[in-house]
Amino acid sequence: MFRVAIEMLLHDKTKYLGLLIGVAFTAFLVSFAMSYFAGFMTRGFALVSENPSAKVWVMDSAVSSAEATINMSNSSLGIVKGVKGVEYASPLYLGDMTARYANGHFQSFQAIGVDDATLSGAPKPANLLRIPNSVIIDSGGTDGKLQTPIHKKDMWAYNGSHLNAVTRELRYGDEMLINSKRVVVAGVSHTIPRFPPRPLLYTSTSNFKRLIPGEKRYITFIMVRPAKNITPEKLAKRISKETGLKAITSAAFKKETVMWYLINSEDVGDMVNMVVLAMLVGFGVTGVMLYMFTYENIKQYAVLKAMGASIKQLTDMIYTQVFIMAVVGSGIGVGISALFGEAISSASFPFRIMWFAPFIGFLGVFIVSLTAAFISLRPIKTMEPGIVFKL
Amino acid sequence: MSKIIASCKNIVKTFNAGEAEVKALQGITLDVYENELLMLVGPSGCGKTTFVSVLSGLLHFESGSCKLLQKDIATMDDVTLTAFRGENIGFVFQAFNLLPSLSAIDNVALPLTIKGVQRAEALTRAQEMLNAVGLNAKEHIKPSGLSGGEQQRVAIARALVHNPKFIICDEPTSSLDHKSGQIVMELLTKIIQEKGASMIVVTHDNRIYKYANRIVHMEDGKITKVAL
Ligand SMILES: Nc1ncnc2c1ncn2[C@@H]1O[C@H](COP(=O)(O)OP(=O)(O)OP(=O)(O)O)[C@@H](O)[C@H]1O
Ligand SMILES: [Mg+2]
Repeated sequence: MFRVAIEMLLHDKTKYLGLLIGVAFTAFLVSFAMSYFAGFMTRGFALVSENPSAKVWVMDSAVSSAEATINMSNSSLGIVKGVKGVEYASPLYLGDMTARYANGHFQSFQAIGVDDATLSGAPKPANLLRIPNSVIIDSGGTDGKLQTPIHKKDMWAYNGSHLNAVTRELRYGDEMLINSKRVVVAGVSHTIPRFPPRPLLYTSTSNFKRLIPGEKRYITFIMVRPAKNITPEKLAKRISKETGLKAITSAAFKKETVMWYLINSEDVGDMVNMVVLAMLVGFGVTGVMLYMFTYENIKQYAVLKAMGASIKQLTDMIYTQVFIMAVVGSGIGVGISALFGEAISSASFPFRIMWFAPFIGFLGVFIVSLTAAFISLRPIKTMEPGIVFKL
Repeated sequence: MSKIIASCKNIVKTFNAGEAEVKALQGITLDVYENELLMLVGPSGCGKTTFVSVLSGLLHFESGSCKLLQKDIATMDDVTLTAFRGENIGFVFQAFNLLPSLSAIDNVALPLTIKGVQRAEALTRAQEMLNAVGLNAKEHIKPSGLSGGEQQRVAIARALVHNPKFIICDEPTSSLDHKSGQIVMELLTKIIQEKGASMIVVTHDNRIYKYANRIVHMEDGKITKVAL
């Protein structure tokens, strides 16, 4: 009967292709949306990804993401360094800065202050930050926000701002004003784009203090590298216990950050809604198509039942058909989404295939297919095989 | 008198079509004998199809009794009845009802496939039946590639491939031209003579009356006349 089921499925090539495209499209939509979303979320914890040697992150106990932060006391670094098993600990300081460009435009940055001694956390070559008053800037996933005028006459003009001046990208040697203090662009980096996108400004903590003097506390995170004989998990626990600060592994911190976005960010909420909506629409369409396919063949099932085919045999036939559709269709859909996604993945288009994207793509298609099969069994179970004479 | 294959007593069947009740069968009593070809005739809507549906266990009925091969079909559950049908009854329909996706030989083999007969054996027996209906060369052609008469011959081969005791044909010739209709009827009579089976043929077509052993006339859900 499997053979009969398969022949039935493949008989009408157009219909089969239509069904296949429907299923593939759903799987595509779902895994693509998930990967797209995963891409965004990956950018949400870019700061953590960009410091791979920091296996443990220490922060104020109230902080639960790399996005919304509050600073710790300046003594916390020494305390953390004193915990046994800490091989290496360096501070990161996050803050906001607004810079004035030479033509009078301004731009706000997320400022990342790194330890003066080690410069760890700064993009390579970090040594550029040893130049006095220097910063390294980064588009952080934005477009056209790091611009300075081409012509000398438009720079720091005595007659005010030249807002309509022709501009070019900022580069090494350009100058900006922050808090009326001069800074030099020592380099332009291209680290992981951020979510939400925003320009970044890396500088040494001492330069940070010079630019924004009012602050009392200059440590947002402490990045810790564990000694060889201790796992990050154990060390994190030990630091929390001994210091009262929050210490978690980088993996856990990434997860927390994603959770934080899911709960707190309206943008992410909208995105999730869209993804869910797309999934529901795709699933709905697929389900209806599969149902219609079975329903159209109901005469044939009636004939088979009249000739002695049991409900179980008919059920098996339908599940066979749906199973084949689901496997082939979702395979194609997930495959295309991977190829397509990798092809268009870029700074402005995050795409990251994590295990759950194809998984949910497959799973979703299977659930929908089985549901559709299950529903389409109803008319088959309830049909009077007597209708065979009326066909 | 030869052996009784099917025995119906006082069968009543009512359809509820919305508000209206249609009394399709109003007490049908009829015996069908071994090796006979019984024709069921009568005006449209008189209940012929309804009767053969009841008789073959395809349709439930309200009252009366119906025994097929000494088994009371009213007391069988759906699973048993379906298996019983698969074992003992062959169907030929006005609209052929072949599976469009299957080749002629696979269509003929279907009753065996359903019973779980090995594919090789099923195909051998299906091929024999196709030879018997004169379609040896067309076994791999799908229904859409066959003429109406050929399709009905495939359907006959399918109805007989599993050697059922009882064959039910609802208007087997009315979709066919005269000549194909004659071929179909000759095949049916020849095969029941060879294999030994009983057959009910529902028909409007008085040109095929000559093949009947008995002709049962129906009107308004009742049998009005039985002619030999
Ligand atoms: N499923 C059904 N629901 C409601 N009424 C039905 C149903 N099937 C048949 N009937 C009615 O029962 C009566 C008998 O129908 P049946 O199909 O048995 O007639 P028939 O003798 O086979 O007619 P024909 O020669 O046109 O095939 C008709 O009045 C028909 O309208
Ligand atoms: Mg009829």
